[in-house]
Amino acid sequence: MKLPFNTYHKVAAVLGFLLAIQLPVVQAQNQAIAIPEGSFHSVLPEVVGEPHQVEPFKIDETAVTNEDYLEFLKENPEWQRSSISPLFAGSDYLRHWEYDLNPGSDEIMDRPVTRVSWYAANSYCEWNGGRLPTLNEWEYAAQAMDFDSNLEANRFSSELIGWYSAVDTKIKSDVGSTGIENRYGVKDLFGLIMEWVEDFNPPIADDISLDCGTVGRMQGDASVYSYAMSIRYITRMSFKPTSSTGMLGFRCAYDMNSNKMEI
Amino acid sequence: MKLFKISFITVFILFITAGLMNLQAQSQEYTIDGLTFGMPEAEVYTEDYDGPPVVGEYVTMLPHLKPLDYEGNKHHEIRLDTFTQEIEVADGVRFRAWTFGGMVPGPVIHVKEGDKITFTMKNRSDEMVTITKPGLEGSDYLKQISENDYMGAEPSIMPMPHSMDFHSGTVAKDDKWRTIAPGETISFDWYANYAGTYIYHCGTPSVLMHTAMGQHGVVVVSPKDGYETDDRVDEEYVVVQSEYYLKKGAGDLYQYDFEGAQTKQPSHVVFNGHQTILHDQPLTANEGERVRIHFSNNGPSLTSSFHVIGAIFDRVWLEGHPYNEMRGMQTVLLGASGSATVEFIVPEEGKYTLIDHEFADAEKGATGTLKAGPRQ
Repeated sequence: MKLPFNTYHKVAAVLGFLLAIQLPVVQAQNQAIAIPEGSFHSVLPEVVGEPHQVEPFKIDETAVTNEDYLEFLKENPEWQRSSISPLFAGSDYLRHWEYDLNPGSDEIMDRPVTRVSWYAANSYCEWNGGRLPTLNEWEYAAQAMDFDSNLEANRFSSELIGWYSAVDTKIKSDVGSTGIENRYGVKDLFGLIMEWVEDFNPPIADDISLDCGTVGRMQGDASVYSYAMSIRYITRMSFKPTSSTGMLGFRCAYDMNSNKMEI
Repeated sequence: MKLFKISFITVFILFITAGLMNLQAQSQEYTIDGLTFGMPEAEVYTEDYDGPPVVGEYVTMLPHLKPLDYEGNKHHEIRLDTFTQEIEVADGVRFRAWTFGGMVPGPVIHVKEGDKITFTMKNRSDEMVTITKPGLEGSDYLKQISENDYMGAEPSIMPMPHSMDFHSGTVAKDDKWRTIAPGETISFDWYANYAGTYIYHCGTPSVLMHTAMGQHGVVVVSPKDGYETDDRVDEEYVVVQSEYYLKKGAGDLYQYDFEGAQTKQPSHVVFNGHQTILHDQPLTANEGERVRIHFSNNGPSLTSSFHVIGAIFDRVWLEGHPYNEMRGMQTVLLGASGSATVEFIVPEEGKYTLIDHEFADAEKGATGTLKAGPRQ
């Protein structure tokens, strides 16, 4: 059944409500999008001619919002700012919130939650019936962009690198507002925040060390597209599971057989 | 059975000893030709520190150099936090710079050959750090900025991984120069084994982007026996050349220009981080005086042909090492990260232009003024 875009969302909301009653495992309003199996090239070393294979999976349409996260905290008080164990988050955890169950103002409810540790992101996704996407799943989804030409891909990537140099994390936009989405409809993989993935610091990280001037060796095809990707890998690899920054949020992924509502 | 026990215990003791020796190997200082190596492993930790982001006795703002007023060698404790700051780098050109200590370039660190430095850096890129507010006691550097905030620094947040690479240190980079995440602090020791002027910069990939975004500065390591002209020098300055790759971003702010950086087409080439600062606030001297400039080409990517219009370099010490002496040079050619300590005698009252004689770069801003008064 193919419905007009607007209608579809209304129907989805009603369906979501019904499903939420029937399936307590589905908690947040965020919808999951199915990503078919496939393969992609990353900046990590790979066997020549054998790109990374990715099985089909589902991933949230948008990043987890402050409102979503608030629901999680209400039901899981051990993850509230004043209760969380220092083993699971640094002192910056949700630092920008007013207090435990108050993100500050209604205005920020639809903005992506940030300053959450990897442990907290994991726990949220588990509570929400999913898990964090793997690094390969996230990058595979992020690469599923439809550009008309290499020129356009390069222009996009160049702007993206510029964004990494100009983002002001004091002010964030709502999720879904960047206008950037992949060919399956997954939104804001770029341009809003950076996102936790399950294996953010892969074992290979030590070998390639990633210090002084090693970007070149990470670039499979020496394109600006690949360069922008390398910045994501490099940034991820510096984090600890307890890290939390104003630029770092997350979205969840789900196995294909999960009950997460699809669109 | 007894034999088994004994051999087991022996192996166990050997194992422990080997382990201790291994530990010792990492933390045992040793000397070769009077140079000290073998620093203990860097420590990475989190701390709730919100004090002055720059602390150190001989740490000053460009172009000043705080003279060393101690005999023999000293152990310096230096803090240089890294954080984001919106700054002006040319008239009307502001961008969110990644900085060491809030300015571009970062502060000048002055030590003596043979000194030990214990360095601490917190990655505060996820904090609002104000460098101009009063109450930052204990930091000469911040006091200087609050008195002369020519970049109009305003706090900003841009969480990014960062690191510190001191060219003046001789250590393993995968330990001391390692990248730390926002909120983390790194602390490590190094010795100033070689005299000279050395750059420091962030080595985190993309190193091109991190240095172009502003993360660089210099350490001046004065020779332990001095330069032969020490008692005749009247004025001593530090001048740093570097380039920016900026384009107009959203709103009034500028942002990193990837293509410009990749193709070495800077938007601005500057002395001391700002297109006009060395004209707005010229270096000063008097006719007949001997001026010494520690000049460093911090890059990230261009060469520099440093020249002073109207003067000839009486002495040039390449890299600032007293053994590398040359005389009578009109221009000093420096690759990226190269430096020279130059001296010239101011011939008469008037203006002297400091310039990168690669004129395409000079016309993008790599110039400054030395204003000479009458003979005293």
